[in-house]
Amino acid sequence: MAGNRPKLAAITTVYRKMAHTQHIVDRYLEGYGWNGTHHHPEMDLIALYVDQVGADDLSRDRAARFPAMKIYPTIAEALTCGTGKLAVDGVVVVGEHGDYPKTPKGQVQYPRYRFFEEIAAVFRASGRSVPMFNDKHLSWNWEWAKKMYDTSKEMGFAYMAGSSLPVTWRIPSVEFPDGAKVSEALCICYGGVDSYDFHGLETIQGMVERRQGGESGVKWLQAYRGDKFWEACRENVWPRNLMNTALCRSHTLTPARAGFNDIFPSLDDMRTLVRDPVAYRYEHNDGLKCTMMLMGGLVRDFNFAATLEGASKPFSTQAYLPMPDGRTTLADFFNPLSNNMEKMFLSGKPTIPIERTLLTTGLTAAGVDSLYAGQVRIETPHLAIKYQPAKESTFWRT
Amino acid sequence: MNITRRTFLGTAAALPALAQARPKRVAIITTIFRLQSHGQHIGDRFIVGYPFAGEWHKPDTQVVSLYVDQKPAGDLSEARAKEFGFKVYPTIAETVCCGGSKLAVDAVLIIGEHGDYPHNEKGQVLYPRFEFFEQVAKVFESEGRSVPVYNDKHLSYSFEKAKRMRDTSHRLKFPMLAGSSLPVTWRLPDLELPLGCEIEDALMVGCGGSDAMDFHALEAMQCMLERRKGGESGVKSVQLIEGDDVWKDARWSKEMLRSALSRSDNLKGATVTDGRTQDMVGTGVLPGLVKNPWAYFIEYRDGTKATMLMLSDAVGDFTFAVKLKGKPIQSTQFFLSPDPNVTYSACLAHKIEQMIMTGNAPYPVERTLLVSGMLESCLDSRVKGHVKMDTPHLAVTYQAPRESQYCRI
Repeated sequence: MAGNRPKLAAITTVYRKMAHTQHIVDRYLEGYGWNGTHHHPEMDLIALYVDQVGADDLSRDRAARFPAMKIYPTIAEALTCGTGKLAVDGVVVVGEHGDYPKTPKGQVQYPRYRFFEEIAAVFRASGRSVPMFNDKHLSWNWEWAKKMYDTSKEMGFAYMAGSSLPVTWRIPSVEFPDGAKVSEALCICYGGVDSYDFHGLETIQGMVERRQGGESGVKWLQAYRGDKFWEACRENVWPRNLMNTALCRSHTLTPARAGFNDIFPSLDDMRTLVRDPVAYRYEHNDGLKCTMMLMGGLVRDFNFAATLEGASKPFSTQAYLPMPDGRTTLADFFNPLSNNMEKMFLSGKPTIPIERTLLTTGLTAAGVDSLYAGQVRIETPHLAIKYQPAKESTFWRT
Repeated sequence: MNITRRTFLGTAAALPALAQARPKRVAIITTIFRLQSHGQHIGDRFIVGYPFAGEWHKPDTQVVSLYVDQKPAGDLSEARAKEFGFKVYPTIAETVCCGGSKLAVDAVLIIGEHGDYPHNEKGQVLYPRFEFFEQVAKVFESEGRSVPVYNDKHLSYSFEKAKRMRDTSHRLKFPMLAGSSLPVTWRLPDLELPLGCEIEDALMVGCGGSDAMDFHALEAMQCMLERRKGGESGVKSVQLIEGDDVWKDARWSKEMLRSALSRSDNLKGATVTDGRTQDMVGTGVLPGLVKNPWAYFIEYRDGTKATMLMLSDAVGDFTFAVKLKGKPIQSTQFFLSPDPNVTYSACLAHKIEQMIMTGNAPYPVERTLLVSGMLESCLDSRVKGHVKMDTPHLAVTYQAPRESQYCRI
């Protein structure tokens, strides 16, 4: 690519310390640790749009320190660099964080769909489209997410999205066996609804999509919260042995008893520690059942366990996030995410199928809907999303 | 007697000790037993179990006795003993004999870390590990029988004492394991050096004070270096320098440092201010950021050289870079999982358990003996004006185990 470095535009909500934009865009400007050196992406981020500029904004500081990156007042101007025609070779959309209204169901209305539509309008007007990455789920609104997906297919540009969880370190460093037969999979993690639930769902999906037959889509989902969550635990609605296994992968198990630093909790202990437990239980079209569990107060990490046919014990690992909430200073799980984006911008091919994130976007919305409707089972015929992941692993191991 | 299934079961129930092997009886000899002290978090692994390979693993052990040298505020020893049915004894001899007159345990854990002990002029805390060990060995000797011993961290602040401990373990023929969690914790990425590799350069980066955290960093470095061609040859000389001289010294390589720091998730300076990633070597911020860097230079008897940099103002984790002959620089992070779980100590507990169950130490105590001596000589170098110290006494030779010993499951 010598002499022909791709040019990128970043379209973002807010650029402040610890916002996803800071983590992602900084990695293009400053470089990041990769493969045992300080890696500078072989591309130039030359245009930036920031939707909200607050007192804690860093975009002006970054533009001053990296003059090759210009800030534009509109998305269209950022993409055209003021020329009237698409002037970049790739687009990074980071619509996470910032001050946006919530829906009656509690979803933050991050403007990812609006950003996408404005970008697609520039593509159309220019008669040309370029690869795009969308941070996190496509949209809080399923119809919009589906439209974003359909538009990317119609226009034929490389489109990739999602969470860092599927691409970060695993402890231990193991891959979900290609073509495995799996009956149950579960992730115990933390955080809130329409937020970290998406990360938990992506943790699961980045594993189970490798199962025999590939992804078949999801037919129903039911959410459990509060008393109904504990009732479901007691009645073994999801497998207790997988819960125990996942918890044994955690490095952040809150000690249930004073005077102990690391002690396995009973169900009663968990009930004391976890104020607002949430689970999304769902069944894939091929019969696989999955459970995503938010158990803030008990853990602060993402722990996966699954029952594989023919294995004497569950498959399990932790998707490890170096988390700058006091544990680290750098959110280095953005290193592998940035690196996967870079690969797409250089090759024109996504390393991860967009269908994964389309499915997890739909699951997140279905989870919210189930909770809003009183924790009822929601049929999800619209999530009959089929795809086959690449054989090559995309998680961080070098 | 005609043994039917019913009579057999009846007999077995009456004599459980004969029907099945009993759990291994463990004595814990520690300085203090307070929440998050090594005595507590390693000791508890053998009391309440620990997470390992996706299970809550309960070792087939029973802690039967405990000695605590100091009982500061927050002491948990009596509460633990009461809850789990063992006794806290007033002396080490009584502890390993469980109050009787004969050795009454199958293994001894000596955990002499934390507690209020004096420092010497080199800044070393004078933890009484040697003194604890001697009292244990005295019982072994008078009994004519020994059991496996684990010694947490370095054997002693004094190489002479450390060597006596190792020699005693050989003379009395008991397996002995020692050292830090760093060599056995997870690595990010999963980097192991091939046994018999040719090492052209090695650099460890650590943080925290001496002589607690530098020991961990040196032992992490040693568990990599010992896999080189010819096995461990011992150390010929060491030197510790500090301050601006560290930046001027040509014995360590900037490319190696860049590689090690690329593995850090805990950079300080501008990262703390505004979250940015940093190429600290490229931007040249290190001399302004690190107020008092220390460099530990180790020259081995086979000519191999290695450097350990303590850069506490720049990093908050432990990383390592190595240049093997014919290969690009490789690097990794020794992963220290967060408080309070400190799950890395579960990795160590698993190694201790392995020794207790098999009677064989999974890696040689000579590693820790050598590192104990390296550290002492480095601190000698510092108090003598940062001079190079010849270390003929550190001709400690050993062969690294063929199998990797760190956690990867």
